Amino acid sequence: MDIFIQQLFNGLTIGSVYSLVALGLTLVYGILHIPNFAHGALYMLGGYVTLTMMVYLGVNYWISILISIITIGILSVLMDRLVFHPLRKSTPIQHKVAAIGMLLFLEALAQLIWGADYRQMPTPYGQVIQFADVTLTVQRLIIVVAAIAVMILLYLFLKKTFMGASILAMAQNREGASLVGINTNKVAVITFFIAGTLAAIGASLTSPINLVFPGMGHLVILKAFVIIIIGGMGSIPGAILGGYILGFSESIGATYISSDYKDIIAFVLLIVILSIKPQGIFAKGGV
Amino acid sequence: MLKLVNLTVKYGNFEALHRVNLEVDHGEIVVLLGANGAGKSTTFQTISGLNKPVSGHIMLNGQSIAGKSPDKIVKMGIVQCAEDRKLFQQMTVQENLMLGGYVHRGKKSRLRATLQEVFELFPILYEKRSNPAGSLSGGQQQMLAIGRALMAKPEFMLLDEPSIGLAPLIVEQMFKSIQQINQEGTTILLAEQNANAALSIADKGYVYESGKVVVQGSAEELLANEEVRKAYVGA
Ligand SMILES: Nc1ncnc2c1ncn2[C@@H]1O[C@H](COP(=O)(O)OP(=O)(O)O)[C@@H](O)[C@H]1O
Ligand SMILES: [Mg+2]
Repeated sequence: MDIFIQQLFNGLTIGSVYSLVALGLTLVYGILHIPNFAHGALYMLGGYVTLTMMVYLGVNYWISILISIITIGILSVLMDRLVFHPLRKSTPIQHKVAAIGMLLFLEALAQLIWGADYRQMPTPYGQVIQFADVTLTVQRLIIVVAAIAVMILLYLFLKKTFMGASILAMAQNREGASLVGINTNKVAVITFFIAGTLAAIGASLTSPINLVFPGMGHLVILKAFVIIIIGGMGSIPGAILGGYILGFSESIGATYISSDYKDIIAFVLLIVILSIKPQGIFAKGGV
Repeated sequence: MLKLVNLTVKYGNFEALHRVNLEVDHGEIVVLLGANGAGKSTTFQTISGLNKPVSGHIMLNGQSIAGKSPDKIVKMGIVQCAEDRKLFQQMTVQENLMLGGYVHRGKKSRLRATLQEVFELFPILYEKRSNPAGSLSGGQQQMLAIGRALMAKPEFMLLDEPSIGLAPLIVEQMFKSIQQINQEGTTILLAEQNANAALSIADKGYVYESGKVVVQGSAEELLANEEVRKAYVGA
């Protein structure tokens, strides 16, 4: 039983990070209507920027995260303005090729700057808390609390402000958004910025318990992709719920089946859920 | 005054509008008649800035607006209620309406007052205010689309075939509402295939045929015109 509770907590930790990354992916999906694979590179760079600030410049953990958030947010906007926006009249396949191209380019760039080594990010929150028979590190607790706080803020922003509503509006009907006077270019910029910050937050929070390396975005973006398929493309609650479903499945699976297979769970889950609900859990519309 | 001068619009090589001239004065209801594919929606899309004209001018109160972005045109007071309504399907009725007032988002109390006016015009929208737009019937969705456009307090409202696909009783109600909106001060440009009903509330009209205006005149003149009657009134 204690192992089970321990694994539930671990699932909550991993799931929080998955949800953050998937949320960014799903928001940008509302603008581009393709999954932006380069989002994985933003996640990776988010980890490196925080690492660099802390290790090379000796900046405090939270300030490092803040710098990472701003840097990756801006990078995400540049990605849209310099690559996706000029391609807006072209076909979805060209968007996909461009996204994969950027992923590869940014990874090569990271390898050039930081090398191919796996790095450990230090954390000022390594303390262990014993809770009955469950052990948790303060860092893991911070991941969960911070991620949930960010998601609540995002929810309030989307639901309670005109700027947030304009993001949802553009995702649901782009021309409709134009016709009520929303500047769709502005909305695209804001959306890419938010997606970038979510990737940076996810990476910065999780890097102290994982490792930072050029390919760290691969598995995460693949899983985030699975999550938004499971949750329904473009669905916000779907991305959050999907992230936690995957987090829990992985940590429980790693304990009771085998940790060697934990990365396969995402794809098994994908097949199972899609065979039951082909449109995803939060499928939109009547189809 | 809204004025189109020799407006020509192309989709690729296909000329959808050829030197269209049109004038809408303040307070009027002006009807665009024409069969499917005649160019009515293209006219609206171009006024709204979703299409760019190849040549010609669009003048709003003496100022050229052709080529401006759609959001600027809404800010300048021209709002379109599109043929396929373009609602935000997963949002509630009230959320759709509030977004209609996006250009006035700084003035919350004024928005609330406008929302009340829309609810008075279409009481069913008040009843359904918490339902997703996608769950409404066709007639209710059309009312929502018109209500959303009204939230911007436009000087000019472009209504693209609001009666399409609606039951006759609802169509009648829809035209009454349009007339009421006009009497409350909004100038209306109405595209319709339902010529009889449209001309009965209109001041004047333009008849389109393959991208050109072929007949124009007051509502009475058009109703009396043999060719127009044959082609569009079905009499
Ligand atoms: N996006 C488009 N691309 C290419 N051709 C179009 C497009 N929209 C409309 N058309 C063509 O332009 C002509 C005018 O269409 P439209 O303005 O929609 O007419 P109406 O609203 O009077 O039915 C039609 O021949 C139609 O096929
Ligand atoms: Mg049309």
